[in-house]
Amino acid sequence: MSLTLEANEVTKSFGSLQVLNRISLSIAKTEFISIVGPSGCGKSTLLKIIGGLIKPTSGTILLDGVSPVRRRREGYLGFVFQKPVLLPWRKLEQNVRLPLEILHNHSSSHVRIRKVLELLGLSGFEDAYPRQLSGGMQQRAALARVFLYEPSLLLMDEPFGAVDEITRTRLNFKLLNVWEEYQSTILFVTHSVEEAVLLADRVVVLSPRPAKVEAMINITLPRPRSMETLNRNDFHELVQCTRAKLKTT
Amino acid sequence: MHKSKIKNYLIDFGTPVAFFIGACGLWEAVVRLFHIRPYMLPAPTAVFKEIINQNFTLLEHTRVTMTEAVLGFLIANTLAFAVATLFAHSSFLEKGLYPYAIALKTTPIVALAPLLVLWFGTDIRSKVVAAGLISFFPVLVNATRGLRTVDEEALDLFESLNASKWQVFRFLRFPNSLPYIFSALKVSSSLSIVGAIVGEFVGANQGLGYLILISSYHLETASMFAAIVAAAIGGVAFFALVSLIERRVLVWQEPSEE
Repeated sequence: MSLTLEANEVTKSFGSLQVLNRISLSIAKTEFISIVGPSGCGKSTLLKIIGGLIKPTSGTILLDGVSPVRRRREGYLGFVFQKPVLLPWRKLEQNVRLPLEILHNHSSSHVRIRKVLELLGLSGFEDAYPRQLSGGMQQRAALARVFLYEPSLLLMDEPFGAVDEITRTRLNFKLLNVWEEYQSTILFVTHSVEEAVLLADRVVVLSPRPAKVEAMINITLPRPRSMETLNRNDFHELVQCTRAKLKTT
Repeated sequence: MHKSKIKNYLIDFGTPVAFFIGACGLWEAVVRLFHIRPYMLPAPTAVFKEIINQNFTLLEHTRVTMTEAVLGFLIANTLAFAVATLFAHSSFLEKGLYPYAIALKTTPIVALAPLLVLWFGTDIRSKVVAAGLISFFPVLVNATRGLRTVDEEALDLFESLNASKWQVFRFLRFPNSLPYIFSALKVSSSLSIVGAIVGEFVGANQGLGYLILISSYHLETASMFAAIVAAAIGGVAFFALVSLIERRVLVWQEPSEE
């Protein structure tokens, strides 16, 4: 399941501080979009507006023609944060199951849980408490938790920002695997240009605050992406091209 | 491996026991050597004899005091949790009532005890109220904090799933508050016995507080010591019970050193 996203001239100010400046985006079903921008430019704010957690000052957003708040209420949206945010008192499997309990959606949950744990390499750890898991496993559990209820649009806010380089690359490929399996639309905010290019169909480059869309770069790398992708010349060219658009001040 | 484990147990439990026996021996020796009069300080053997002689009366007094303490503890902590839930959801109520809660907390229970006896009589009720008053505040304060201090991002997660207030409470705030609540319960388990005994001091015809008071009137110091020992054992047992339940409930926590 996936949906389209139409953002039209979205502007956001907190008091006199303007954060977003007339951002327009058009995203197709099952697209993987990475968003990069200088830190503090308002990437997280943009993600929260698209997710219907905060309201824009002006402009509109439509997800398959419907407002984000309604889409969120209907359970179409999934968020992944920088921290895995697992509840320490729940075992891994209970953590993954949490959204189903909140959404009162128990249909064939056992089969679905087993499938998503299998996909993310978490089988056999169902009964572990979060403190017993490594950082990478905790983040994989957070991915399992969000993919389990098959949201149509995934909003990811620097989900792998807190793990080491090697773990991050592994998580990137895991994410691509699961995305190909579940076919959702993904918006992926990151600090890392390499990560943005490696994952996405298109990379949105935002300007310093107030953020506007500085550039939109098509990532023409073939799929499925793998470790080989990292060695390709066109990968490095795309990384350099993206970095050139990224103004740091 | 197994042998060294047994050795560790022996050291952990044996050391305090050895110190206890040593201290009793010293105490006994001092009493005998200096001919200290028994109404000033009875020898440990005399206290022990007294405990054996009193047998069922001592047990009965202990039962009365513990019943008062446990009842007060249960009622007060249920109320405290309910009020904490209100506080956690309404800063208006918290702002308005918290200063008075603190004022009541800082008023010594000894100062209130005569009033409680006047209002509730000399039977069990005044002691239950005294035990309750003193064990109310630790849980109120800690439960409010535990229900409040939840992870910001966890709240975002629940909001993204459009969770209801009740779901946030049930799945997030309540479990989050449990470690806070248990550390308060351990404090108030001991305090509730203090409350019960203070209540008995003011007006009662049974219980350890009554026994201590009567023994002091009659200069039966050994009997007083017997009551003090019973109160101490009761306090330790109550604390241990709460700790045991804590360990059963908070299995997900890092095993911590006590």
